[in-house]
Amino acid sequence: MNLITITTFLPLAGAVVLLLSSALASRGTDQERQNNLYRWIALIVTTVTFFVSVGIVAEFDRSIAAPQLTQKVPWISSLGANYSVGVDGVSVWLVLLTTFLMPISVLASWGVTKRVREYMVFMLTLETGMIGVFVSWDLLLFYLFFEITLIPMYFLIGVWGGERRVYAAIKFFIYTVVGSLLMLVALIAVYFYNAKAAGAYSFDIVEITNRLASNPGLIPQNVKLWLWLAFALAFFIKVPLFPFHTWLPDAHVEAPTAGSIILAGVLLKMGTYGLMRFNLPFFPDISHKAAPYVMALAVVGIIYGALVAMVQPDMKKLVAYSSVSHLGFVVLGIFSFTDLAMQGALYQMLAHGVSTGALFLCVGIVYERRHTRMIAEYGGIATPMPQYSTMFLIVALSSLGLPLLNGFIGEFLILLGAFASPVPHAQLFAVLGATGVILSAVYLLWMLQRVVFGEVKKRENAELEDLDAREKWALVPLVAMAIVMGLAPMFFLSASEKSVNAVREAVIGKPAGVAVER
Amino acid sequence: MQLENLNINYWAIAPEIITSLTGVLLMLVDALQKKAERKLNAAVALIGLILALLSVFRLGDGGSYFKGMVVTDPIRIFFSVTILIVAIVATLLASQFVRDEGLPPGEFFTLLLFGTAGMLMLASAGDLVMVFLGLEIASITTYVMAGYRRYDARANESSLKYFLLGSFATAFLLYGMALVYGATGTTNIAAISSAINAGQITSPKLLPVGAAMMLVGFGFKIASAPFHLWTPDVYEGAPTIVTGFMSTGPKAAVFAAFLRVFAAGFATGAPGVGAELHATWLTALAVIAAVTMTVGNVIAISQKNIKRMLAYSSIAHAGYALVGFVTGEYASVAFYMLVYCVMSMGAFAVIQLLARAGDRKTEIADYAGIGFEAPGLTFSLSIFLLSLAGIPPTAGFMSKFFVFKTAWDAPYNLRWLVVVAVVNSIISIYYYLYPIVAMFFRPLTVGFVRPKVSLAAAIALIVTLFGTFYLGILPNRLIHMMENGSRAAQSAQTQVINR
Repeated sequence: MNLITITTFLPLAGAVVLLLSSALASRGTDQERQNNLYRWIALIVTTVTFFVSVGIVAEFDRSIAAPQLTQKVPWISSLGANYSVGVDGVSVWLVLLTTFLMPISVLASWGVTKRVREYMVFMLTLETGMIGVFVSWDLLLFYLFFEITLIPMYFLIGVWGGERRVYAAIKFFIYTVVGSLLMLVALIAVYFYNAKAAGAYSFDIVEITNRLASNPGLIPQNVKLWLWLAFALAFFIKVPLFPFHTWLPDAHVEAPTAGSIILAGVLLKMGTYGLMRFNLPFFPDISHKAAPYVMALAVVGIIYGALVAMVQPDMKKLVAYSSVSHLGFVVLGIFSFTDLAMQGALYQMLAHGVSTGALFLCVGIVYERRHTRMIAEYGGIATPMPQYSTMFLIVALSSLGLPLLNGFIGEFLILLGAFASPVPHAQLFAVLGATGVILSAVYLLWMLQRVVFGEVKKRENAELEDLDAREKWALVPLVAMAIVMGLAPMFFLSASEKSVNAVREAVIGKPAGVAVER
Repeated sequence: MQLENLNINYWAIAPEIITSLTGVLLMLVDALQKKAERKLNAAVALIGLILALLSVFRLGDGGSYFKGMVVTDPIRIFFSVTILIVAIVATLLASQFVRDEGLPPGEFFTLLLFGTAGMLMLASAGDLVMVFLGLEIASITTYVMAGYRRYDARANESSLKYFLLGSFATAFLLYGMALVYGATGTTNIAAISSAINAGQITSPKLLPVGAAMMLVGFGFKIASAPFHLWTPDVYEGAPTIVTGFMSTGPKAAVFAAFLRVFAAGFATGAPGVGAELHATWLTALAVIAAVTMTVGNVIAISQKNIKRMLAYSSIAHAGYALVGFVTGEYASVAFYMLVYCVMSMGAFAVIQLLARAGDRKTEIADYAGIGFEAPGLTFSLSIFLLSLAGIPPTAGFMSKFFVFKTAWDAPYNLRWLVVVAVVNSIISIYYYLYPIVAMFFRPLTVGFVRPKVSLAAAIALIVTLFGTFYLGILPNRLIHMMENGSRAAQSAQTQVINR
């Protein structure tokens, strides 16, 4: 059986096992023991999934740009839809990021005591959906998975979230669904234009990409613009790009810790991944024309997100706004159309997943102890919690882009690439974007200073317990990954190089890399 | 007239015969049983319906019988299957309903079976007279079923409203039929089609007027705007199980007849009257589809009662199905109605179980916090609602996708309609989420006793849940069958026209 299919559906199988497990457990056992059973099942399933996905990386051939390890089975033949999965250089790391973050999220949710079984079922279904998004090479299948991720997340926020969870859950759902339904219309339109030229219906992403590239006049120019907008809006909302970001802080603040980790770590990447997979290769000319505007929005997002993050009294909200800022970098990189910037954008997606996931986890750890996320409530917790504070420090430094940690590589490549970009005014955007790096140092270090360092001002903080074993198991892999990604970026970049290059070539063609060659 | 020319074939009406005979048998069974234990009724009804379903699969590929009164074609087969599935699910649910409510079970199942026979006749009608007969049988039984809880004022109101407005609509339909007969000299749908095609029309003015009146009549029966005003009150007042039944079965059956009369009968491309008529009703229906979706969805947002909300949602769904209708390709409509019937019956099944005897708990506020108290029911309801909203991987998504695809691909420009439909889908998500929010996200306010679910009701739920996922994830075979049937029917129609 195909390795990717196994990775995708293993969590779903785990969810089914969870649903059946309560029938197996004897009636007499007490609730807490049963909950532990559910937690362990979820942990084992996600860990096994991670190791299976490592197999994907091991099997991955770095010299090929096209999708690999593919499996294609007819699905709905009259519509031309196939069950078609595979990974290329862009998606392979995103799959790994997903499977890497999931066991950590399960560990982070050990403290959930309300309806543990249902919680874990939603987590596992969510994982299948997320992996499915990244491995689909069929438009309909992609859309299916894209939507499937919505429902578990909606429940995770709505049932296990904070005080204003209902509002946040509905807002999250409506925002995302509006975008994705518009995408559905665009998707159907592209499907028909392709069918008109090919004479047969097909949802195959590679086939459609090639046909649109070889036959640029297939879709009339004005229609193309609308289709580009429909796709882009769906992904911009998901990213979220300024000004479509307002759902994000609400969702993050109300979501349980694991929900925030997954949301920031993986769900947002579905947006940037979609831009790279669909907007750029499908509509290269429109993307090219739109690039300055998108870059401008990205820069606004970078600076706006950072400034708003700076004044947040709530740690989680601060991290949420920092996501807006960091994802702005990713979009800036993608629309620079240079190898460096696009590679950097991909790297930033991974780095952001790791370090922001870790930041949310750190916030969650102190929240579990003090039940508050207000910065003012803390101060000097390095004294009672030295291990925690060290980890928090490393994580924050990696997020703000300190060299030798993962955040630096991505932002540096993006800014370098953006500076050399053929897009008009790209230099200006790069310069403005660079201020985001400075601002991120300001808000993160300032938060650290107020939370971790200094005197212990509040009596409650003096007796805080340091990390326990479970929290270490969750936090250490993230910190280790942040360091590994900072030290050995080529291991990751060399795998994605060909595929990213192929996307870039689709937009501006082969010769236009002059600035990059320098 | 020679008797053999009538082409009598009793096998061709086997489903109708079986359901009617089972209905008669039920009356006898009911009379011969002791009052205390009338458990046989549901079982007999179920066996009859399953036999009828099996006989549908024996109908064969095509043909026209009883001098064109009954036709067998893919439309009939798909819609008959849909109707019988609805009837079977309704029977499974009704056994608990009549027991809980202490209502006489004999008449209920008899009415259900006769109603089903009427709907099957609608699906197989090849003649306007048959359309009328089927419609009357199906309608009158549902009028009675709506008021089955006769001590309940709401049910009485529902029944009476349904009866008055329904009769009014039937009158429209009948008048339209008479005018069309006057214009073409025949009541046979195929003959009407060829008469229009050949230009043999006595009065070119009568035909469009007659068609318009029929459009009103059909439009009322499928609850399309602006003929939808009866729906919310009727759906709210009737017992939940009946609401589920009458918002699915008769709607699907009327869609079958509607398709056969309009998409087949009035769809000739002959220049002159035929083409003009075709263009007119297409435009009219496209506008009706857009208005129906919008009215249904927008008003549904403000509903506080879940049955009322689903009544408006059923209006909206008629609109979506009409989008497929105007393309003339009925495969998408047939698939849509099948999916709609499955998920809607499922939703009403849960609502009935949660509402308890006498439909006491049907306000959405009653659902607050019950999510984890009866997880089997609430998660099922959530899945049905998400399916109605068209979220993948449920059947609702596939059916919508299929309709939108067909409309986008249509020979004339219907893309604006697709855009309207998509915008409507977005609106609809808001209110479909509302009960889910209430069930799972809000705290429990009053005590909740988990409702008793009988085995039959559990089977009904499992069947509808399975259908919702099966049609959403693996619809390949079914869509394939329908499209092939649709194509065959269209080519047969073109042959008729070319001759």
